[in-house]
Amino acid sequence: MSWEKSPHIQTFKLFAIVVAVCLSSFYLISSVLVPVVISFTLYALFEPATLYLVRHNFNHSLSIMIMLVFLLIVSVLIIGFALPALFDQVTLLQSKLPQIAKQLEKLLTGYGEFLANEFGANVDISELTLSILSESSSLGQSALIKVSNSLLNFVIFFILVPFLTYYLLKDFKRARNDLMNWLPNSSFELGWLIYHNVSRQLNAYTRGVMLQSLIMAVFCSLGFSLIGLDIPVLLGAITGMLNLVPYVGPVISVILALLVGAAMTPFEPSVLYLAVAVIIAAQIFDNLVVIPAVVAHAVDLHPVQAILGIIIFGSLFGTVGVILAMPAIAAGKIVISNIYADMANASLKSVA
Amino acid sequence: MANIFWSNIFRKGDSELHTIASLWQATPLFSNIPERQTEMLCSKMHVRRFKPGETVFSQGDQGAGAILVLEGTVRVMANQTQLAQLESGDFFGEIALAAPERRTADATATSASRLVYFLKQDLEEWIEYEPRLGARFLMNLSAALAQRLFEANKLIADR
Repeated sequence: MSWEKSPHIQTFKLFAIVVAVCLSSFYLISSVLVPVVISFTLYALFEPATLYLVRHNFNHSLSIMIMLVFLLIVSVLIIGFALPALFDQVTLLQSKLPQIAKQLEKLLTGYGEFLANEFGANVDISELTLSILSESSSLGQSALIKVSNSLLNFVIFFILVPFLTYYLLKDFKRARNDLMNWLPNSSFELGWLIYHNVSRQLNAYTRGVMLQSLIMAVFCSLGFSLIGLDIPVLLGAITGMLNLVPYVGPVISVILALLVGAAMTPFEPSVLYLAVAVIIAAQIFDNLVVIPAVVAHAVDLHPVQAILGIIIFGSLFGTVGVILAMPAIAAGKIVISNIYADMANASLKSVA
Repeated sequence: MANIFWSNIFRKGDSELHTIASLWQATPLFSNIPERQTEMLCSKMHVRRFKPGETVFSQGDQGAGAILVLEGTVRVMANQTQLAQLESGDFFGEIALAAPERRTADATATSASRLVYFLKQDLEEWIEYEPRLGARFLMNLSAALAQRLFEANKLIADR
């Protein structure tokens, strides 16, 4: 058998085509990638409820409208009650940025003196502090600008997302069937099997991580409130969202909590330890209870695969890419294993 | 006016849907399943055209569902032995509805054929809609698979 006919090479060729098509599609819709991802997420969340209503003799369109009205009510509640509180907390964080910088400078100076006294190391802390302060200041400002831009985008998405979600709930399966009908007879069953496996895993993953994020946000908000950390709700919400990014997210959460804790007046070092303890407790709860119960084996990836995927997808598609990395790699694994199984079988038959 | 992008240009006509539903209803799989529900399920099935001599599936392929012959003829073979020559109204490949097993025979269209694919995924979605009828269908499927097993055993015993 020539090497071109090897199932590995055939699989690689076919998989490369699938990846190229997916990446090109992502690139083409990159300007609306966020609302599209949100709409698909809402579709995954609302579809079972829509099916439930249809099963109880509700008209399909009416069931979708009920779901959208529910979405509208939840959105209004969030905008009416939660967003003003979050805005207050963002403003509070902004006003605390200079204090955070001062506290950081004080901490670093203290460590510099400690190093000089104990080990005789002469570290130029003032220069290091100035560099960190200027970096953190610009980072803080750009982060705040980004948050403001995101809120503006949110208002635009508020119109686009329900529109897309409605049509996904109404016509996605029909459009999907039309698309699958373009497959040649030889790949028809394989195509459906791959689609079925990928969609089942992505649905389970989407529902699982949304619930996981919510649980983590509530857990951390309560924990931060109990230890008396500033802006507990905002920090809890951010920690819940950052939990979508495995390994890296919790580390960023700890840094954020430490920065907010360091800016508190009067400064209490115990709050810093307690903040870290809250996040560690949340992670333990997440890994022992939440993940086995709600995420289960939806995505079974090696840590190295996950980290590399996050870095590559993050560099290609930014924040959205970081969030999409895990399900995209998991889906890629299913596609490649199914194609390989088919190619290996075809290869065996040709040899026989 | 229907949106071109979202409209289903492959939508099966009512008469064809009725024909497909009638053919399935005549099989043991749809015994005691109401006609309206059968038609609803058939509206989600996929009709494919095959040329004479074209392979429908090969032994060892991953199967996605059962197949009904709507028009034409299909030959089923295993180990160089012809197991069946199927025509309009016959169905095959139903093991794939029950288990993720690989195809156990080769199926080839022997004339220009139209085959109806009833995918496991569509069956699962339908069971979510109609759990009671779904349970009845699964009982029918078990009976059909048991019958196939009985016939296979008889064939082996007769040899």
